[in-house]
Amino acid sequence: MKLIQESSKTKIVSNFIVGILAVYGISQKQFKLDEPSLFQQIVTEVISPVQEGFTSSKESVSSLWENYLLIVNTSKENNVLKKQISRLESDLTSMEEMRKENFRLKRLLNYSDELSHQRVMAQVVGWDSANEFKVIRLNKGTRHGIKTMSPVITDHGLVGYVYRATENYSDVLTILDQNNRVDIVIERTRTHGIVEGVFNFKCALKYIMRNESVEVGDKLITAGVGGIYPKGIKVGMITDISKENFGMTLSIEVAPSVDFDKLEEVLVLIPVEGETAQVSLPVVMPAQEKKI
Amino acid sequence: MRMRLSQVLIAFAITSAFLIGLEVVTSTMLPALGWHEYRLTFNVLIILFLALRLDSPGVPWMIMGLQMIHSAFSIEGWALGTLAGLIVMLSANYLKELLALTSAIMTMVTVQFFQIIWYVTVTLIICLKISDFDKFGMIIWSFIPGSILLSIISPLIFWVLEKIWRVSPDSGPRGVEI
Repeated sequence: MKLIQESSKTKIVSNFIVGILAVYGISQKQFKLDEPSLFQQIVTEVISPVQEGFTSSKESVSSLWENYLLIVNTSKENNVLKKQISRLESDLTSMEEMRKENFRLKRLLNYSDELSHQRVMAQVVGWDSANEFKVIRLNKGTRHGIKTMSPVITDHGLVGYVYRATENYSDVLTILDQNNRVDIVIERTRTHGIVEGVFNFKCALKYIMRNESVEVGDKLITAGVGGIYPKGIKVGMITDISKENFGMTLSIEVAPSVDFDKLEEVLVLIPVEGETAQVSLPVVMPAQEKKI
Repeated sequence: MRMRLSQVLIAFAITSAFLIGLEVVTSTMLPALGWHEYRLTFNVLIILFLALRLDSPGVPWMIMGLQMIHSAFSIEGWALGTLAGLIVMLSANYLKELLALTSAIMTMVTVQFFQIIWYVTVTLIICLKISDFDKFGMIIWSFIPGSILLSIISPLIFWVLEKIWRVSPDSGPRGVEI
């Protein structure tokens, strides 16, 4: 009886201490920027190479899946022939993948030449394992010059910004995440608004007044305010506008410029010391000049 | 059934390795295969197992340890899940005598029930942190498809964890005592 009472007391004390620690941890938690703890850094540095390995061997996994599961019941001769074909196809696919990668990297490099930031090319090695956060992990970290709050882009447009970084890896809070708010300008009307992530790989454009003449198909670019993103990076396109019976603003749905389903390589823009982040990009300047 | 401390440490180490493997699957392998929209939050499932099947003052610390591992894979951090895990564990303690995880269906239903408690807790805290309760419904909704899938595969994951923790049907409703 005494033993049970003691065990019960230990449980209460244990629950209480862990509960207090958790509440303290929550109070300290920031969803906009984070400094990884030593434990997180160690686990990330140890585990991320595994993630990187899985990402780079994606083709091999698909090939294994097809070869093992789909042809398991066919004859031995068929197996040998299919394996030969599969190997040849795999070689072809690898070459095709290399060709595509080469093309993408060249395009990205050409694009980056137009930016006045120091840039680091990185590959996406994983996604956040929680449902409510849309975060990607890159295979470059502080050792490669990456700093927190650095904007991340592709040749299609804005991806997000660096939320936390370890020595060799960094996590990027994408524009799909509800905690990431991007100041934007509608390219055609020069109206300012804020884009934030919503459910289902879409974004919402907020604070656009009901009397603004926005249209489906209008393109959004970064406004350059807020100190994170340079001005003029493509963010997305308006895909749906609905006017509620109440409220002063419109309810606008935005499709991001970047296809996050197919995101492989990105460019991290590191602001050069002494320069501000509000740098005009020549990429969209012609449209701006026309407007002015 | 009682476990010795050395057995507990070994079982916890294996459970941690199992969680790391599952986190790699959900954060890397599934997205690489084109599965982007929903995540299978295996940490929730493992913590539910500990809460439902172990009876020990060490369980809250184990929950915290597993959440710390999870925090290397998610910006969610360790604290949010630890608090949700504690709340689930305390609720499970009250309901333990009523729960009999004897069949796959019962396991699925129980897991789904406790996942709802978990996600409501987490969503409430997130909404409090970002000071935006308009997003409550949207965040909860984003959990639903993944949680149903997790409930469906929960009998398999629980079976593996039962082997790791040596929990048998004879262990009774209170599971393994440590």
